[in-house]
Amino acid sequence: MGMFRLEGQDRVHAGRLAVIWVILSVIGIVAALQIHYPPYDNSVQGADQSKTMALMTVLAVPIFIGVVLMLVYSAIFFRRRGLELVDGPPMLGNTPVQVAWIGISAVVVLFLAVVGITTLASSSAAQAVGAAGRAIGQSGETGSSTAGGQGPELQVQVVAQQWYFTYRYADYGGVETTHLYLPLNRPVELHVTSLDIIHSFWAYQLGVKADANPGVDNVFHVTPDKLGGFQVRCAELCGIWHGHMADSDGRVVSQSDFDAWIAQQQKDEADIQKALPSYAPYYFPEPLTKGS
Amino acid sequence: MVTAEHVSERRLSIPNNPITGVLLAIPAYFAGLWLGTLFGLNDDANTGIILGYTFATVAFLIGVGFLNYPLERLFGWRVSPISDPEENRGIGRFFRLSLDHKVIGMQYLVTILIMLLFGGIGAMLIRSSLLSPDSSITPPGQYIMLIGLHSVMMIFITSAVIVGPFGNYLVPLMIGARRMAFPRLEALSFWLVPPAAVILAAAAFWGGFPTGWTGYPPLSEQAGQGMDSYIVGFALIGLALIVSGINMLATIITLRAPGMTWTRLPIFVWGIFTTSILGMLAAPVLAVALVQLAMDRTVQTSFFLSANGGSNYLWQNLFWFFGHPEVYIFILPAFGIIMEIVPHFARKPLWGYRTGVVGLFGVALLSWFVWQHHLFVSGIAPVLRPFYMLSTELISIPTGIIFLVTLGTLWRARVWFTVPMLFCMGFLFNFLIGGISGVYLSDVPTDVTLHGSYFSMAHFHYTIMGGEIFALMAACYYWLPKMTGKMLSATIGRVHFWWMFIAFNSTFFPLFIAGILNMPRRVSSYDPALQGLNTWVTISAYFLFGSMILFAGNVIYSLFFSARPALANPWHARSLEWQLPTPVPAYNFERVPMIVGGPYDYGVPNARPVADLGGLVGVTGGG
Amino acid sequence: MLGRLAFVAGSVVAVIVATVALVGLFMLQRPGTLEGPSTSIHLETVAAVGAAIEWPRPNDPHLDWVSYLPTTILRVPANSTINVQIDQEDGATGLRNPFWGKVFGTDGGNMHVKYFDDKGNPQEGDMTSIDPTLAAHTFAVPDLGVFVPLLGISDNAPAGSANIITFSFKTKGPGVYRWQCFVPCAAGTVFGNGGPMQTLGYMAGELIVS
Ligand SMILES: [Cu+2]
Ligand SMILES: [Cu+2]
Ligand SMILES: [Cu+2]
Repeated sequence: MGMFRLEGQDRVHAGRLAVIWVILSVIGIVAALQIHYPPYDNSVQGADQSKTMALMTVLAVPIFIGVVLMLVYSAIFFRRRGLELVDGPPMLGNTPVQVAWIGISAVVVLFLAVVGITTLASSSAAQAVGAAGRAIGQSGETGSSTAGGQGPELQVQVVAQQWYFTYRYADYGGVETTHLYLPLNRPVELHVTSLDIIHSFWAYQLGVKADANPGVDNVFHVTPDKLGGFQVRCAELCGIWHGHMADSDGRVVSQSDFDAWIAQQQKDEADIQKALPSYAPYYFPEPLTKGS
Repeated sequence: MVTAEHVSERRLSIPNNPITGVLLAIPAYFAGLWLGTLFGLNDDANTGIILGYTFATVAFLIGVGFLNYPLERLFGWRVSPISDPEENRGIGRFFRLSLDHKVIGMQYLVTILIMLLFGGIGAMLIRSSLLSPDSSITPPGQYIMLIGLHSVMMIFITSAVIVGPFGNYLVPLMIGARRMAFPRLEALSFWLVPPAAVILAAAAFWGGFPTGWTGYPPLSEQAGQGMDSYIVGFALIGLALIVSGINMLATIITLRAPGMTWTRLPIFVWGIFTTSILGMLAAPVLAVALVQLAMDRTVQTSFFLSANGGSNYLWQNLFWFFGHPEVYIFILPAFGIIMEIVPHFARKPLWGYRTGVVGLFGVALLSWFVWQHHLFVSGIAPVLRPFYMLSTELISIPTGIIFLVTLGTLWRARVWFTVPMLFCMGFLFNFLIGGISGVYLSDVPTDVTLHGSYFSMAHFHYTIMGGEIFALMAACYYWLPKMTGKMLSATIGRVHFWWMFIAFNSTFFPLFIAGILNMPRRVSSYDPALQGLNTWVTISAYFLFGSMILFAGNVIYSLFFSARPALANPWHARSLEWQLPTPVPAYNFERVPMIVGGPYDYGVPNARPVADLGGLVGVTGGG
Repeated sequence: MLGRLAFVAGSVVAVIVATVALVGLFMLQRPGTLEGPSTSIHLETVAAVGAAIEWPRPNDPHLDWVSYLPTTILRVPANSTINVQIDQEDGATGLRNPFWGKVFGTDGGNMHVKYFDDKGNPQEGDMTSIDPTLAAHTFAVPDLGVFVPLLGISDNAPAGSANIITFSFKTKGPGVYRWQCFVPCAAGTVFGNGGPMQTLGYMAGELIVS
């Protein structure tokens, strides 16, 4: 193993590579920052994810460019000239270079992990990715408490079933609806559960994805901060209509529009609401057997 | 040991070959099916089908000849000559049970390439049906069936595609051994693969299974009889992984030639060594999960049914505790191939050999601590997420070492750009993208959007197809001359590389974008706004399939039509396997060789040839 | 030499093409399609294909499966009103999610039902919802917002009779819309949603709007 000392040739190559790498990386990072990353900023949580994705891309660009540059550079400058087979310099390794490489990659990884964990730990991000799913028999608080003093969270249950999502609003007598409407700027606590097999509730524009398990109340938080529609899709293979388990009629509306809409729902569906089971973290409705 | 006098010359006159195996398997299947009905379970014949598949496999193995050795030991009959590679000669040896690791390697290679063709046809049908954003081309039922068959077939293939053909063929040659430690287990690990593939394909007659390769219950308990194919087929592959892992470890630990110290071991053997540890330890976990699933489906237990007190998280944890090491079972031998081939064409010693080995072990070790990154949005306890996020991201350190070692080997080298070398470069490019995209998935906030989307699908195709399959191609171009005695056409090989490289990236890179733009995995219908992107991908996929056909064409052309016999050492490589004559003799080495040098000592002043072959004729090292 | 090469290459290509064609055809197979496009749909629901009255399918591989008949691949014109009549011959299974006991998305928000009450007397009337425990099946096209629960036949109804449910709904633009049942009516499968519930031609269907 050699010392950390560059021979003449090493220095020439390393110098050239460093200059090209810095130039290309700067261009690459500037380009990466021009992109507006999904899921954009329709919710507090989505904006966090979008920012994290931008940060990861900024970190990834120099690494990607560095390795590809080395590959291309080797293909051009370290290729065999002529037909004769010549052995290269017998370098067996270089401890300082290896230590530096491992050290730098460790620093990058730890930096990423620390950023990820702090994003996760900060209140908004903790809500973005949800609190514990509560398994059967577990008692305890429903998810985490309210977000930074913005008033009580709206409780909405997402009920997955083969092959449609319905929604129940706990604060409005457990009224069940076929589309998800959310009021603007109001923190929402989503309780995701399933009546049969595993589904995954993915509200793309809101930056929410939460598996729906039978007998489990999977709690996620979201605070929509832009008016408009959003799409809902199932993101866990759930049988023949998995690809069709989608709804593009989700809406973020103003509080007054929301109040009007939910009142209308309560009125329209009064006849069937009586037949619904009372609102619960999860349900086990046994299918009735065929008549005797 | 039974001495010669005790062996009676009585021979059983059953011809041991796969046809006998199939003829025994068919009645065994129906016997199992009938036995299943005796239990009187209201289980849609699942018990019978599972028993039938199991009986059929056992009967097939008996027909192939796996009972011979026990019979020989039990009754002293001499049943068949398969035990001795010198007796079991001729082209027929490839079509029957053989205990010669070189024959088993070739059997594996051909079987798996045929399976790859079917897996690839499945991929083409999937892509074809995605030409339309609604399910107007392929009906949704058949679409999820295609997803299931393609994914599980490909998992079967990629579990064995390097260890099977190249591990079995090359490990004894590379370590200076005359055979494997457990030749019968080695043969068993191969002969389990064709029944597994056939049983999997049989799912089509039952309407397939709807779960993809992850088999999540309760969906897999709701599914029809096709699911039984998944259970039994996967269990057989798991058994093959365990058996081959034990055999490889025992071989590498005990049968190294004198002088083959751990630091002289070719790095490919280290790749096989680490992957064997993973296979041996991970597959039993899969087996447990599969047995539980089978019991839920047949005798009405409820391991995975929360309504009856079970938990579907149990499956997710068991499956991924196997599943994440499983993906490193795919890639560790590929790392081995890349680090093995690059020094020979760079004409330089492997740069940082010990660090490379540490990298392989680092990946293998860390792979046990990351499985819950598949459960980030499933509702697991949030306190667990930072740990799995960190452990997953830590894997990029040992993976980075693999890049460091190869790039260090290329530094100031005199690279001879042969076709295998091109595929190594292609591997590094593809795996770089695969690895970086993996970091996006390991980070919880970004994973919320990317989980279960085409992004993760593109990610693992970059690592498996762009990684492992590119390494497979490098290995084929590099070692087939030794294994077959024929050089593959380099001209076609170059066209093949560039065609495959461009088509691969053109197919899978846009799928990252599709995933970021709201396209979940495994859907038969998707947002019509993404139709243009999907059409582009489908056309690229056709080209990618075409490149594989070109590869098949190159193999057929070069082996059977071009008269280019390979030299014993066409690459002028130093390592031990190239010092043997082509074709490799039945017991490889006339005498166990004495290893006196390292495999990569190119340009090292006064480097000794790698081994003293005891006067065996061969080409000496090119160094 | 060249001839032999061409022969081998040709036969390899032929084998692949044949495999793709065979597998492809199998993969493209759909159950029969109803004549159309037509603005009126007439269906029958049965507890078992073998018990069909109006549209028997004696050669069906699953004679004991619950099913819509004659088929579930329906052709309808775009942007028009579709009139549906369903002869409901199956008894009640009950909804897993009682919410689907309500009628959504039909013209007038209701359906017209000729049925037999629990004493077996014929009754008739418009309904906007039914008792969820009395549902036998639903006819649901979620992408059109159409969800119609189908009342199970009373135990005391005359043998061989059916509840007749009629309603109409409007289609949107062309495309393939799935339709399904929300009653876990596939007896013997986990959650009642396996088998026929996930097979085209039984409890899963496609509305081909052209
Ligand atoms: Cu779903
Ligand atoms: Cu993993
Ligand atoms: Cu039904």
